[in-house]
Order: sequence, then C-alpha cells, then structure tokens
Amino acid sequence: MMAEPDKSYVLFPLGEKRFALPAETVTELARPDSVQTFPHRTPLLTGVLVRRGKIVPVCDVAQVLVGAAAPPRKFYLIANCNLGPRQELTAVPVTGECELASAARVPLTGMEAPYVSGLLAMGDETVAIVALEKLICVEAPQ
Amino acid sequence: MKPLKQTRSQPPQAAREDVIVFAVGGFKLAIAASVVKEIRGMEDLHAFALGGISAQISKLKYTLERNGTTYFVVDAAQHFLLPESHGARVMVLRNVPTGVLVDSTDRIMEISSLHALPRAFTHEERGWYRGLAVVNGAVVPVVNHNAFLNKTELEILRAGLERVRGVVTV
Repeated sequence: MMAEPDKSYVLFPLGEKRFALPAETVTELARPDSVQTFPHRTPLLTGVLVRRGKIVPVCDVAQVLVGAAAPPRKFYLIANCNLGPRQELTAVPVTGECELASAARVPLTGMEAPYVSGLLAMGDETVAIVALEKLICVEAPQ
Repeated sequence: MKPLKQTRSQPPQAAREDVIVFAVGGFKLAIAASVVKEIRGMEDLHAFALGGISAQISKLKYTLERNGTTYFVVDAAQHFLLPESHGARVMVLRNVPTGVLVDSTDRIMEISSLHALPRAFTHEERGWYRGLAVVNGAVVPVVNHNAFLNKTELEILRAGLERVRGVVTV
C-alpha cells in the first residue's frame, strides 16, 4: 500500500496552540478589519466582513478550540467552507501569523472532537486539522 | 492542481429597490419601502392585553385602529431578541395587519443588490431577513416583513379577538 503524499496545510495559532486547515480551502489572510454586526442568534458568529464586495461571516472558533481565555485575535484567515449545497467564504479570527506547511496525516485516536478531521505530526507537536463546516455548527460554550 | 470545487456562493440579486432604514437597539436595519403603508408616532396606540395571547406572543405590545382595521404592533427589539429598547415610531405595514415599533426611522434609499444571508447563519435570523444590503460599505439586513407576525400568530390573534369582540375585521 502506498503512503499518502504530504499535503499542504495552513497552520494558524490560537493562543498557545496551533490548528490547521487544508491549504486549498484558504483564500486569504486578512488584516483586522471592521467586523459589522446585526441581530442574530448563531452562537459562534460575531458578525460579517465585506471583502471585495462579498459578505463574509466571521466565525470565532477560538471559543470552542481553546476556550474563552484565548488572546485577542489579530488576523482573519478566510477559507472556503462547504455549507449545504454551496461553498462559501468564512473568516476565522486567529491570534497570530499563519504558516504554510506540508505534512503527512497521522491516524486519529478516536478521542477527537467531531470537528477534527485529521491530525498532523509537526515535530513534537500534534496539530488538529479542523473541519470548519462542522465547527461552525458547534454551539458556543456557556 | 485540483479544479476548484462545484458551486460557488450565489451572487447578489441585482434588483434595485427602495428601502426604509430604521434603528432598533442600536442596530440599523432596512425594510422594503413598498411594504410600509405609513410611519407614525406612538399616539392612538392601545396596550395589548388579551389573556393568554399576551403571554404567548410577548413581543406584541399594542394595537392600533386605522380605518376599521386592527393592526397588531410588534416590538421590534423583542422580535430580534434584543435588550429592551426605546420604541418611538411605528411602521404600519401594507396588506398585513401588522405594525412594527422601532426606535427611529432614518431615511428612504435605493439599494442596488441584495446579498443572500450567508449559510453560516443558521438560527432565527434566517427567517428574520430577506438578505443583506451593503450601503456605503455598511452591511444592513433587509428584514422579512412577514416574519414580524407569522400566519400562525395572526390566526391566534384573529381567533382571540373574535372571542373577545364577537366579530373583528383584520
């Protein structure tokens, strides 16, 4: 059986931890912009950004991935996300600069949260690959 | 390289439309001007109190009698689940017996396109809004006027008022 070739991932920091998104889904790392908000009830969404004429929802996944104590978010990682029949851009606030890396997946342990679609071994560090569409559906912790 | 995947997000509907921009709880929202019959102050409003219905539809605050029609006035802040606000203007809607209590009305303006609400929004807001407009770089939700009182709520109100009054015209 042939080993799966290494794929590219964008590693993004949330406080002390790093997470990964498949590089082909990421379109842009944006500087802080004004998040605009309006009444809504979807837990992880903090508002929307207007990027090149498109309205991009901002999903603050740090609340789920690292808890309320996450440091201030500095950038927005904008990625394509499969939501229902359509692919839409979603902005994920991150706490520092991102890194493009190639790595092979390591097997899941079975103990991961449902929004973890894989694991990457980056030296001593294990980085969770996040399934953004599943993460968006998670209710925010109280 | 893998081809880019299937369906892209839908482009905004390019149809010009006049909207009335209004404020509730510090937020700016818009409603199609064509569905608003009248904008008025708080005069002639009667506090709504109808047994269990008041508790069942707690956002319903007042009634307004106009030309033989009873309008049910909904507190927009409660409709959008916002903290209590300072309602001062009522938008009386056309073709439905509904009024909407808002903090203020701003201006009437033309929007050139309506963006679909991103699918990441999955809760009550999917019913609240027809879509999002971008006005001078600001995102303004355009409300679904039929959501202020839905058909079921209007049926409950009709039945309740008929019980009380015998006959009612709505």
